[in-house]
Amino acid sequence: MVLEKKSSARVEADSRRRVLDEATRQRRLSRQLEALEKDNFQDDPLSSLPPPGPTARLPTFSETEEPEKKKRKTRGDHFKQRFRKNFTTLLEEENLSDRAEPNYLSAEALPSSLPPRLFCCVCGFPSHYTCTTCGGRYCSSKCLLTHRETRCLKWTL
Amino acid sequence: MATLVLDNGAYSAKIGFSQEKVRVIPNCQFRSKTSRLKTFTANQLDEIKDPSGLFYILPFQKGYLVNWDVQRKVWDHLFGKEMFKVDFTDTSVIITEPYFNFSSIQESMNEILFEEYQFQSVLRTNAGSLSAHHFFSSRPSELCCLLVDGGFSFTHIIPYCRSKKMKEGIRRVNVGGKLLTNHLKEIISYRQLHVMDETHVINQVKEDVCYVSQQFFKDMEISQMKGEENTVVRDYVLPDFSSIKKGFCKPREEMVFSGKYKTGEQILRLANERFAVPEMLFHPSDIGIQEMGIPEAIVHSIQSLPEEMHAHFFQNIVLTGGNILFPGFRERLEAELRALAPAHLPVSVLLPDNPICYPWEGGKLLADSPDYEEIVVTREDFEENGHFICEEKFDI
Repeated sequence: MVLEKKSSARVEADSRRRVLDEATRQRRLSRQLEALEKDNFQDDPLSSLPPPGPTARLPTFSETEEPEKKKRKTRGDHFKQRFRKNFTTLLEEENLSDRAEPNYLSAEALPSSLPPRLFCCVCGFPSHYTCTTCGGRYCSSKCLLTHRETRCLKWTL
Repeated sequence: MATLVLDNGAYSAKIGFSQEKVRVIPNCQFRSKTSRLKTFTANQLDEIKDPSGLFYILPFQKGYLVNWDVQRKVWDHLFGKEMFKVDFTDTSVIITEPYFNFSSIQESMNEILFEEYQFQSVLRTNAGSLSAHHFFSSRPSELCCLLVDGGFSFTHIIPYCRSKKMKEGIRRVNVGGKLLTNHLKEIISYRQLHVMDETHVINQVKEDVCYVSQQFFKDMEISQMKGEENTVVRDYVLPDFSSIKKGFCKPREEMVFSGKYKTGEQILRLANERFAVPEMLFHPSDIGIQEMGIPEAIVHSIQSLPEEMHAHFFQNIVLTGGNILFPGFRERLEAELRALAPAHLPVSVLLPDNPICYPWEGGKLLADSPDYEEIVVTREDFEENGHFICEEKFDI
């Protein structure tokens, strides 16, 4: 008689689990790092309100002042056009890859030669284990549970 | 002619006439939850009674000036009658810019200073050049110094040989005060209390409780202990902006180690957060930033320079900026550099009395030096030769 091979419950559970690939993990990391660059987490409290000042449709009656006003306005607009560029656009316009070093790009510190240190992503203490699903680190089964509930596949704060 | 010195940082402007005292003023605008229709500029921050959920509008992105609308509003306020009452027809200005500032930003800067504000003469420079001037005027016998400039957006390492900036040795570590505050905000929000909207409050928490550990893993062990043995843990009382105007650390003897406080204040309990956050300056890879930490980057910078200068650099490392103010920073940096530097070279790290205003003080000295007139660009010069003359004279 051939004995039926017993399968391990743990192996089975593992094979059912979703595993995030390297690209997704990298994407998550860069999203986290981008979040650390934000000036504000909340929305501008003024964004829901109409812009201050009189509404544009109101007719103006002072004819004498108008030409001068108009001139200043176009100047301001020109200024805004020219100076309203974000960091990425400005960096691209610099064409640094074609320029002689040293420059902004070459000045960035290189990757460290020291081995990475690993910390539990829940409590922050040194960790020994890696979450098989997302690659996050944890230090104890308690933290692993919290991690699975809050941050493993979803992202709650 | 008066000279206005403006160290124009991404988070705070250090400003004052060269004959007077310096003032540190936020270089941004704010909106508050309570007075929703108003935008507060620079030091009008003090008028906000309840700065919870404070919204920031910053002129800088990643350390570079991009939002000119905001910057001009802040400058209008600073130069105007409420603050410095600048008489542009009789004023020269020294203004700082980041290292490797983009050429388009430099041109905008020329135009705004000369054409919009009409300053009589301008000196655009790096904060480090002013610091170096400060350092060499107080220690004329030294030949070289290496500045560590820890700011809001990033940390720069800049070697100077006399007044000459050694561009090939400049290193940038993309860890600054903003990142540390945001990281602290994030871990507190995840572990105990949602404070993501409270950048202003948490920045204060960071300044009040964070420190640089001298024995990182030992402190990790201590901060894991229970009760009285845990000498790292602190309870921070959050401000409610009615009875508690400013947050503070509970004194050790009033701390309750088990159970809750009966006073009803809102408390943050901080243990490993206290030193794990500034640790990013030494190990950015801890949060996945693949860059060297400050000590490693300093060694890397020095090694890229001529060997006969190495001894001078290791002996004259000067800390400037607000982000190096964490207690223990100087000691830890010196210890790590001692371990990394060649054994026969002495290592010394200098922490000036006021690292935030060290460049400004340098600007003050420079404004009073006899050859100041020769290094500036005057308005007539600019009107005649345009950007070219600025490019010639200023080394950004």
